[in-house]
Amino acid sequence: MIGKLVETRMKINDNCVGCGQCTSFCRQDAIEVRGKARISDACVECGICSPYCPVKAIEVTV
Amino acid sequence: MKVVVIGAGLGGLLSAARLSKEGHTVEVFERLPITGGRFTNLEYKGFQLSSGAFHMLPHGPGGPLARLLKEMGDDVRIVRSEKTMIRIPLKKGDTDYRQGFRDIPFHDFQKPLSNKDRLKSAYLIVSTRKDPPEGSTLQEWIRSQVKDEWLVKLADSFCGWSLSMRSDEIYVEEVFEIFENLYRFGGPGVPMGGCKGIIDALEKVIMANGGTIHTKSEVSKILVENGNTAGVVVDGTEHKADLVISNTGHAATAGLCSEILSDEKHAEYLRMLEGLRPSAGIKICLSAEEPLIGHSGVLLTPYARRVNGINEVTQVDPSLAPPGKHLTMSHQHVAPENVGKLEEEIDMGLQDLKEIFPGKKYEVLLIQSYHDSWPVNRASSGTDPGNETPIPGLYVVGDGAKGEGGIEVEGIALGVSRTMNKILG
Repeated sequence: MIGKLVETRMKINDNCVGCGQCTSFCRQDAIEVRGKARISDACVECGICSPYCPVKAIEVTV
Repeated sequence: MKVVVIGAGLGGLLSAARLSKEGHTVEVFERLPITGGRFTNLEYKGFQLSSGAFHMLPHGPGGPLARLLKEMGDDVRIVRSEKTMIRIPLKKGDTDYRQGFRDIPFHDFQKPLSNKDRLKSAYLIVSTRKDPPEGSTLQEWIRSQVKDEWLVKLADSFCGWSLSMRSDEIYVEEVFEIFENLYRFGGPGVPMGGCKGIIDALEKVIMANGGTIHTKSEVSKILVENGNTAGVVVDGTEHKADLVISNTGHAATAGLCSEILSDEKHAEYLRMLEGLRPSAGIKICLSAEEPLIGHSGVLLTPYARRVNGINEVTQVDPSLAPPGKHLTMSHQHVAPENVGKLEEEIDMGLQDLKEIFPGKKYEVLLIQSYHDSWPVNRASSGTDPGNETPIPGLYVVGDGAKGEGGIEVEGIALGVSRTMNKILG
């Protein structure tokens, strides 16, 4: 829980169109898609999904 | 010749395969870690979903894409769908499917019309082949010919499914060119292995002919020397080329050589690009143990609120789903004014599916939406600006530069064929 109170490493920006490509590469089943992608609590912030986004909508901060 | 292709989507790979087979040195640069763009498989929960297209070629094994693949010795099997059906309410006068429905074959589309309109439409089917209508939208034309709104509903469903447009957004000329292509090439078919079956086969052709494909490689600039295309820059490194083929649409391509295009003499081209409108749509992927459609063709749903049509590709290739499951996908057009309200559009699509498949058990696997920079089509059908650019040696292929009357990927194939004819003579 404490981890979630701190700023998370990953953010989905307004570029997202909701194509769902990210969720098919997520190993934690942590991305819900409905018009736009949302990262759920199951996310382990591995960042694997980010390069698969065709519109650069998944921002990973280090 | 040394050729650089920007983007490993269908248009880019078709061009790369064709040119490498002709003996040219071809290098493809793809920004993403995967190839295929919006025409490949996405594995999800054991299903082969797709990154965009519906695992279906609008003209099946006889169409422009299949022909192009055959020319290159590509051995993908494309299975023609057995039929296209239209779901209509059981009772005449009903405006939805809630009181029951029946499916009629597409070629019986005149059946729900009045006797007078049926005669008129029979006459039009013959007369318009000789003398195709022009100068209005499809909807205006239909309303000028028959009274019954049924044909407008059907046109919206057909255009929504095949072009992600409404009948009042498309010119009648473009639609009649599509009809002509349906006569010429036949109806849809499903490639074995889905979209990726075709992508894999194209990559095989490229590799076998000495071409290379780099993923995770983003082109940041198109080089122009003395007014001619000279290559690209990837990760700060220059790659010289005699010819550059871009699969990223005209607008994004222009962005890669904006300095050159800022010259006054290109103002008209840039103005034209500003007018291009991508088309938007929503795909809902369903999983079911019992088939929901029961045949390998398209089910058009003109009486649904939003869903235009549905297919069930596992009727042709069961390997696109885990054993004992079917993969059924619905498409709905999203009007430009509704792109900001996607969740409402999705809710209406889900409600439609409940009414289209009452009493059937299914699970919603994934809902995918496409618009703006990752759209259904970069240029709505009938507005494609062709394959050439103001810079000699720089061509655009893909869904932002389709050929006339070309539905979706068939249009991409027609555009690639046209470009190849220009390049190879």
